[in-house]
Amino acid sequence: MLYILKVDVADAWKCLVRQPLRSFLSSLGIAIGVAAIVAMLSISEGAKRRVVMTIDSLGMSTLRIEPLGTSAADGANSGKLTGITQDDLELVSTWLGGRGSAAGYVKQEGVEIGLKTRIQVATVVGITPLWQLAEDIYREAGRNLVQADFDNQENNCLMGNELAVRLGTRPPVQIRYGGRAATVVGLLHQKGRLLTEGTGLSALDFDNSLFCPVATVPYTRVVGGRELLDGMVVTLNIVKEQQILSLAGQVNQLLITNHRGVRDINLVVPVKLLRDAKEKQRIFSVIMVTIAGLSLIVGGIGIMNMMLANIAEQTREIGLRMVLGASRARIVGFYLLGAMVLTLSGSFFGVLSGIVLSYLIQFFVGWDVAISLPGLVVAPGTAILVGLLFGSHPAFTAASLQPAEALRQV
Amino acid sequence: MRRDSEFQSYRVVLIATDIHKTFDSGNSGKEVLDGVSLAVSPGDFVMITGTSGAGKSTLLHILCGLDQPTSGEVFFDGNPYSTLSAGESSRLRGECFGFVFQTPHLLMDRTVFENVTLPFCYGPKITKSEIGRRCMDILEYVGLGKDGGRYPATLSGGELQRVVFARALVREPRVIFADEPTGSLDRKNSLNMLDLLKKKSEQGCAVVMVTHDHSLKSYGTRFLSLDKR
Ligand SMILES: Nc1ncnc2c1ncn2[C@@H]1O[C@H](COP(=O)(O)OP(=O)(O)OP(=O)(O)O)[C@@H](O)[C@H]1O
Ligand SMILES: [Mg+2]
Repeated sequence: MLYILKVDVADAWKCLVRQPLRSFLSSLGIAIGVAAIVAMLSISEGAKRRVVMTIDSLGMSTLRIEPLGTSAADGANSGKLTGITQDDLELVSTWLGGRGSAAGYVKQEGVEIGLKTRIQVATVVGITPLWQLAEDIYREAGRNLVQADFDNQENNCLMGNELAVRLGTRPPVQIRYGGRAATVVGLLHQKGRLLTEGTGLSALDFDNSLFCPVATVPYTRVVGGRELLDGMVVTLNIVKEQQILSLAGQVNQLLITNHRGVRDINLVVPVKLLRDAKEKQRIFSVIMVTIAGLSLIVGGIGIMNMMLANIAEQTREIGLRMVLGASRARIVGFYLLGAMVLTLSGSFFGVLSGIVLSYLIQFFVGWDVAISLPGLVVAPGTAILVGLLFGSHPAFTAASLQPAEALRQV
Repeated sequence: MRRDSEFQSYRVVLIATDIHKTFDSGNSGKEVLDGVSLAVSPGDFVMITGTSGAGKSTLLHILCGLDQPTSGEVFFDGNPYSTLSAGESSRLRGECFGFVFQTPHLLMDRTVFENVTLPFCYGPKITKSEIGRRCMDILEYVGLGKDGGRYPATLSGGELQRVVFARALVREPRVIFADEPTGSLDRKNSLNMLDLLKKKSEQGCAVVMVTHDHSLKSYGTRFLSLDKR
């Protein structure tokens, strides 16, 4: 069996190189189809990874709440729009009880941080006590902020990793910002930045920020006697998607009620983003792979066409092979092997150019692509199926020739 | 009905009994063979003669199982063809028969040597070096020992026919079928071919040859005429 396979592959190869251009073109058709599928799947996989990264960054069991628009900041129509306040935070915390941790923050970007003679620009974030817990970010060196730091309103703070590198320092160290002195008591682990694109949330780069107890920073705005927050982070102690979504709905309702029915908050549930993205992703993938698959079918038709032309020319040769002892099954196998040689070589170059194409798309279009390993198997696999499918008609046509008549052909 | 005069030969390999063949051309069936019987033993040199269209090629195709008779039966080693599966019939052609055609039927994109190795694609299964050795030997035998690397397009008609002959002999068949092997050859090459065939039949190989050249009759040991009376 293996011997026959070896012999026939060599034989089929010799028959294919007889018409090199013809064989190359039909193989090229397959290569293009395979490349299209590989590239489409890579784009789809890239988008998927992007979503997963976003979710990772925003937190799986986390709700993020920020005021809608700039109402809290300009204060002009603050009579109507209330923004998010300490009051909201307390309400949510109380309501949550042991089901999670809620924290609030105020934020000021572009603050000059001074260490002796050095100055670096960073974001200063005023945080409430449970913030570290809610963001799940802790010290790498020094210590975390403790309740006493908040109670005593001491100017103790935590520093982001990169900011510390930029300033060339490690805690504990005295720094200055916004006209006041502060002590950095802890250095935070590297965490990168929040991937907030497309969510409506404001950006935050953990590694380039300074985190201080909210009462000690000079950026708190008070409107109508209430302290405004720039946002709230709620981390729930549950992982079930359904429960998270249901609690998120309740928190939203709670805040809207507290704001007397005004929908002035943006509550982002990363889990929901994931779900929406997955659905969109699925439709997108199906459409793209279908289109790519169509080009593979066109490639298959090319193979079939080439084989039919070959067989028409090789009638006498087929007759001869039958005279020499080739059974019909051998003839079928012989032509299917020829089709396989074409689809396999087409697939090989298709996979290579599909990968190259993916990176070209990433480079020129700027989409995230990730080579999808299943795609590298699925695409050639489909190509081989297409080859078998479209090759079988010509192969059986060849095998059904009457040897006596085939030999009479001149 | 015509009958082979020496039907009761000793140790028969190939027997055909009362072969009829009718082609359906249009409405009227055309009877090409009307009851041909034949027995071939090892060492026989059977000459089938007849005018063009008498059914010589058709008979040859039936004798080697490439075509089926309308009625009648062919036996090889006592086995009737009608009981052989398609695979068994193919194996029979691969292992026991050799063919020479009127036109060479060579693969033009392969060298002489590759053409002669082609039958080994379909058995018997022997090593590559053994195949090479046997092909070289047979090319030597037909006088083309130095031409293995040439392509068919560069050979003369007589040389081409010798390549075909080498291809037919390389698997050491028990029966050689030759359909007008000298049809495209001049006198000298024709006699050359016939000498090769004769030598084979003297070595114990059965030869069934179609010809309409009555001057070659001296080579035959048995004769069958398909001419309509
Ligand atoms: N497939 C077919 N359908 C119809 N008629 C056929 C078919 N094959 C052969 N014939 C007819 O059968 C007859 C015998 O053909 P065959 O080839 O056996 O003749 P032949 O004796 O070999 O002639 P030649 O000496 O010219 O080769 C011819 O008249 C031919 O037209
Ligand atoms: Mg003929």
